[in-house]
Formats: sequence, structure tokens, C-alpha cells
Amino acid sequence: MILQNKVVFLTDADNETGRAIVRKMIEAGAHMILNSPSGGRSLSNELSRMSEAGLQAIVVQIDLCKSAVVAEMLQLAEQKIGAVDVFIHNSKFIHRASIEACEEDDFMSSLSDNAKSAFICTQAVGKQMMQKQTGKIIYVSSIHAEKPTGSAFAFSASKGAVKMLSKEAALVLGRFGISVNTIEFGPVEGDNELFQSSLSTLYNDYEYKVPNAILGTHEDLAELILFLSSDDARYINGADIRLDGGFLLHYMNFKMKRP
Amino acid sequence: MSIKGKIALVTGAGTGIGKGVAIELARRGVKVAIHYNQSDAGALHTKQQIDEFGGEAMIVQANVSNKPEIERMVSEVNEFFGGIDILVNNAALQLNYGFFEHDEHSFDRMMSINLKGYWQCMQAALPYMKQKQSGRIINMSSVHSKRPTDFDVVYAMTKGGIRMLGREAAIELAPFGITVNTIEPGHIDVGKQSARESKPIMSPEDLEKSKKSKSSIHEKFPLGRVGTPFDVAQLVCFIASDENEFMTGTSIRLDGASMLL
Repeated sequence: MILQNKVVFLTDADNETGRAIVRKMIEAGAHMILNSPSGGRSLSNELSRMSEAGLQAIVVQIDLCKSAVVAEMLQLAEQKIGAVDVFIHNSKFIHRASIEACEEDDFMSSLSDNAKSAFICTQAVGKQMMQKQTGKIIYVSSIHAEKPTGSAFAFSASKGAVKMLSKEAALVLGRFGISVNTIEFGPVEGDNELFQSSLSTLYNDYEYKVPNAILGTHEDLAELILFLSSDDARYINGADIRLDGGFLLHYMNFKMKRP
Repeated sequence: MSIKGKIALVTGAGTGIGKGVAIELARRGVKVAIHYNQSDAGALHTKQQIDEFGGEAMIVQANVSNKPEIERMVSEVNEFFGGIDILVNNAALQLNYGFFEHDEHSFDRMMSINLKGYWQCMQAALPYMKQKQSGRIINMSSVHSKRPTDFDVVYAMTKGGIRMLGREAAIELAPFGITVNTIEPGHIDVGKQSARESKPIMSPEDLEKSKKSKSSIHEKFPLGRVGTPFDVAQLVCFIASDENEFMTGTSIRLDGASMLL
């Protein structure tokens, strides 16, 4: 139980990634603060498993872009289960729109959900972690912090911003014993539809562009998050870890491993 | 290199890099729209310098965090010069607030100018470039789109966003003959100018210490000097030229190799 008695704060416990992370954290013995847009309804299985395992879960439904709201929530949670040891930002909002036609409100929503929330929460958990002189911050980003989508530029631009947030925080918070890293994750099944593009051929045959022709899963992501949350990862700081099975290295179509 | 007779809009051209870029473009025969937001003194000075050698320039004002103002500005340039061939996105806000000094408000302000502003200036210039099936968009970023600043987290975040905006724009706009490239300047000597609200990067104590240290400029800058707006302008002129039609979606670090130390 490598995270026994530790407190993990997860920004979106409802999405597939979030639920996989919760399941992994249960195995590791962590208590959790779970931001759940569904108010816990999407998480009923995971929550009952936590309770069976004797782990505490605080389910919240808050605006992660408001400093005062986040700070108040963390303070209340600290009184109940303790200060945050591991912060995982896995919020992901994809608005499909071209540079030419995108509306301002949609652009700003992407930026808020993907980047502003990461920043505001990092300030808040950073203050708690600085007190303890230890902590882990992990941003679940995307391969699209590097590779354009050709379908959702506001998503990739906001993940580009998170990449720099991670490096700045790695310096500033690193001086207080806190490690800050980014995981650039993808593709998983269904991403070809999510990022369907008339401009980019990236997702054509995407499963075979992974050299071993096996797509990753949310469980793979959860494994890496657990490692980065552990003391074993103490020297990893300010890194962008590409978790893609080698997908972005693809170059020669005729060499793909096909069945 | 052929850029003579083209029409350029350079945002934030009353000071620093933007000023140097506007002047050099004009010197090479480009018709330049000099943009400013708050004070026209710098823009007037840029124009005066261009007028002195007989270049063509106009001045436009807009708050680039406001879409209607951007659209008005771009249509003014079109009415005066007849289109836009080159857009140099350069106007940016750098507050130099510490990691915990920033809040929702300062985050929004910087993102609205530095990232949303770049995107919406592109959006506004697009119809004119599409009409001609050619165009050059040059986004002024910074070495801090890759290397952290350690003095302004949100500034670096805006530059990280611009990096991906440029990549996305390159593939979206390529079918219209429009190229999109990013320049990442390092330390550029922009004289005494700095935004009225920007905080100093160094505290008075740190500044004093740094003045006393005997370190040579070569310790930070292999070429023995920092960059100038003129250095950046040379690259802008090359990117904007007709000959340079295959370069798109790239980011060019222009720092005299200082980031390699």
C-alpha cells in the first residue's frame, strides 16, 4: 500500500481516466478528494469499493477555476482527512472547432477547463504542500501538447499552456520538495473519433501506428500516475512523459505491424 | 528577397521588437500598419522613423483582447492599403508576477492578450489572405515557450499555448497558401521600455548583487551580446519573403545560443 494514509486530489473523477485512477488509488490505499461533475453518481462502484476498503472519499462538485472556492474546499478537506499529498489534474475538455470559425466563448471554456483550472488548483495545493515540504503534482496532458489535432486547436493550445505550467511549477515548487510532472497521453480507443479531422491523417490506422499495434488503456495511465505519486519517483521533476506506446514516433506506413 | 510592395500589420509596434520589425519591413518596401493600444507616442515615433526614409506606414489602435476592436483595426488596414499579406502578432503583456501573486484576473488578462489576441488577429486577417490565396503569419513567442521563466508562470503558459496555436494554424491554413511560423527570441535589448504595470524581474537586492558579480556576458550569451529588435526583424523579413514559401509550422529559437548554456 504505497500511498497508505496519503491524500490524493483528483480534478475529474467521472471521466474514464478518472475512474481508472480512482481504482488504482484504492489498491494503493489512498484517501481521496474527488471532484465529480456528476456529484458522485458516475462513481458509485468506485465509491463503494473505497468504503469497503476503509478509505475516505470526499466528493465535491466545485468550480476549479475559482481560487477562493478551491482554497475553502481544501481547507475543509484538510480538517477531515488531511492536506493533499498528491494532486492529479486530469480535466479534459475537447471543443472541436477550426481556428477560422471557433467562437470566443468556446475557446475560453477550453482554456479554463484544461489550463486555468490546472493553474488555480496548483496554487492552492502548492501552498499546502509547501507547508509539508513534500508533494506530487501530476498533469494528465495529451500527445496533442506536441502534435496538432487538426480538429480542436483550443484543446492543444491549452495543453501547450499546461506544459509550461508544469515546468514553472517544477522550478518554483521544486525548491520545497514538490515534484511536478506532465503525462502526455494517447491514443486510446475512440480517440480517432474524438479527434476526427479533415486536415490531419494522424489517426488513420492509429492502432497500427503504435509500433507493437496494441493501444494503451486508462489503466496504463493509472499505473504511471501511481509511480509518479510514489517516493520511488523522487528525482522525476519537470518532465513531460510521453505515454503513447511510441505512437508519435511513427513515420513509415508500409512498416506498420498489421495482423 | 521579395517582400517589396506587400502589406504588413505589426501588433505592438510602438516599442521594442515590434518597432524594430515595423521599421525594417518598411525599409524593405513593405507598407506597414503600426499597431498600438494605450499610448500613441511610440507608434508615432516608429512612423516618424519610417517617414524619414520615405517608407509607407499607417498607425492603427486596438485593444487586442477585444474582438470587435481587432476587426475594426484589420478593416482599417484593408481600407487604407488594400488587404493584409503579413501579420506579425507581437503585442503581449508580461506582468512578471510571482507564482502566487497571479490570480484568476491576471491569468485572464494575460491569456486574453497574449493567446486569444494572437488567435483573433489571425481570424480577422484570414479573409484577406484567403482572398489572395497567400499570406504570412508570424507569431512572436519566446524562448519561454519551452524553457520556464522562473519569473512569470502565466507568461510562459501563454507562450506554450502560442506554440500549439502556430502548429494547428500551419496545417489548417496551408491549403490557402498561408504559412504560420513562430519566432522564439531570447533576451532582446529593447531599451528602457517596459510595460507600465510590469514588475521588475529582480529585486533591488538581487540586482545589486548581480551588478557586483564579475561574470562576463559570455557566460550567458555565447556571441558576447544580447539580441536586438533588428536581429528579430531580419528573421521576420526572411520568413515573410516570397522565396520562403515552404517553411510553415516551425518555431525558430533566436537567442544567440543562450538557451544552450
